[in-house]
Amino acid sequence: MKKFLLSAVLCLFFSSSAGAAMRVDIYGPGQNIVNLALAAPITGPQREAAGMGRNLQQLVEQNLSFLPFMRLTNPKTVLGGTVLAGYEPPNLDFRRFQLAGSDILVTCYWPNGDSGTNAVQLRAFETNTGGRLFGKEYSRVSSRDLPEVADRFCADLLEALTGSGAFFRSTLAFVKKTGTMRADVWLVKPTGRDLRQITNMPGEALSPAWSPDGRFVVFSHIDQKSHALGVWDSGSKKVQRIRFPGNVVIGPAFMPDNKVAVALSNGKYPVIFLLNHVFQKERILEQSDSINVSPTFDRAGTKMAFTSSRLGGPQIFLKDLGTGAVTRVSRNGTYNTEANLSPDGTLVVYSRMTDYGHRIFVQDMITGIERQITYGPGSDEQPSFCADSYFIAFASTRGSGRGIYLTTRHGGEARQVPTGGGQASFPRWSAPAQ
Amino acid sequence: MKCYTLIFALVMALAAGFGCAKKSAEGAYDDGLTPEMRAAIQQITDARVYFAFDKFDIKPEYKDMLKAKADLLKRYSTIRVRIEGNCDERGTQEYNLALGERRARAAYEYLATLGVNPGQLEMISYGKENPAVQGSGESVWSKNRRDDFRVVAH
Repeated sequence: MKKFLLSAVLCLFFSSSAGAAMRVDIYGPGQNIVNLALAAPITGPQREAAGMGRNLQQLVEQNLSFLPFMRLTNPKTVLGGTVLAGYEPPNLDFRRFQLAGSDILVTCYWPNGDSGTNAVQLRAFETNTGGRLFGKEYSRVSSRDLPEVADRFCADLLEALTGSGAFFRSTLAFVKKTGTMRADVWLVKPTGRDLRQITNMPGEALSPAWSPDGRFVVFSHIDQKSHALGVWDSGSKKVQRIRFPGNVVIGPAFMPDNKVAVALSNGKYPVIFLLNHVFQKERILEQSDSINVSPTFDRAGTKMAFTSSRLGGPQIFLKDLGTGAVTRVSRNGTYNTEANLSPDGTLVVYSRMTDYGHRIFVQDMITGIERQITYGPGSDEQPSFCADSYFIAFASTRGSGRGIYLTTRHGGEARQVPTGGGQASFPRWSAPAQ
Repeated sequence: MKCYTLIFALVMALAAGFGCAKKSAEGAYDDGLTPEMRAAIQQITDARVYFAFDKFDIKPEYKDMLKAKADLLKRYSTIRVRIEGNCDERGTQEYNLALGERRARAAYEYLATLGVNPGQLEMISYGKENPAVQGSGESVWSKNRRDDFRVVAH
């Protein structure tokens, strides 16, 4: 399965760029749209690949449809068609794609045919200059490798355009509820592929969170008698249930050094504790005479956002872990919870209770400006930033039942992540796989 | 067919034998409960404490009920009760787990203040995961913002 990946690495010489510098600013307020055309996959000049080539094309199209700043060129609008005489200049006719409004052209070449196990070459060009953005060859590709080839190519393309390919390199952990007090942890790619269940235990799992190294998923686990910290090890595929003195284990989150922060009982109110590497209490990160739950950290581990009722109703606060200073983040509404700090530390996303259900808001920590990014219907909750600090996954009841949806830091139309039925919630991104 | 009938009859006989407590001639039950203790357990578990939205303070109207529970727990010191804090569906899950714990703790502390041995009490929060009533609207939500009292040993 992984053989082709090694080959892709060995073929780095092939991925040299011609110096094209097309970039898409997905972080600024005026996010631009990129028009991308996919040339028909070919096995030779004007010879369209109809086997794996066509399947890979469809997978790449599906992947790219998740990028809100990208529009795929309709092949019917390309004069002369998309079956080309070659896969790189000078045998590429960029003009026909320019006329169709395409900014980028992707070619797909199967030098030895597209059946059985073969190599495929994918290249991206800027149509205006003819400059190559990048190219990759994947050797010994069979049909079952195609989804991973598509993900790897799209991750590289996204990285070349925006600086981060994290979206296609990440996996979402989420919870699927199957009854009262019964829910397990599942994994899925944000595109809906590679769906799998990782826990199967009586009781209810909540709040899964990935370790930065991708080895563990921790979660709260509640059964009839107690709360516990669930720990899934991707190496052994086993789950531990770790009890703590007291009554609650709420909202665990990993810090960048692979240590877990979690709200545990400590006297009258839950306190946010830091656990050591063997999941034992190390020290208190935050406490007050009020509820303190749901810690979340930036990539550097210098800031912690959390929910606290210290001023009455629940609000979002930010703690500078260097100085210990705590500042209030959410200033509007009476019920703000479920903060998630962007990995770059510039934004906090959280849900607010409104008269119409919960809605998701983003606050810019530099300007202090708050913006609503979801509008229902139903209730939008549990927002979570991707490692690129751009995509946001959240749970919503806008469809039939509760599902996982994707939006961005700018808001816009939400896209549902296929999770195979059931009530899905608590999406949490992994760090991008290397 | 006869075989299935025989199995069914055996299952029913076993269910009748093990399914419920039987009263003996002396008035006690074969699970060791006297009628008085059974009534005490009933009284402890039946009455719930209800809360206002996002609150965990015990309202005055529930204090007499908790005092009655405290009296029974002091009289029957073998009874052990789990106080289960619950919330309505409107709040978010993690915060509600904390709020449910505060609700359970409020009753725990009140009973302890009335002299109940803390060793007879335990707590858990189910947040909004275990509603008593399904649905929406204040009439439903008000029934779900509650403490349940479950006898776990006697």
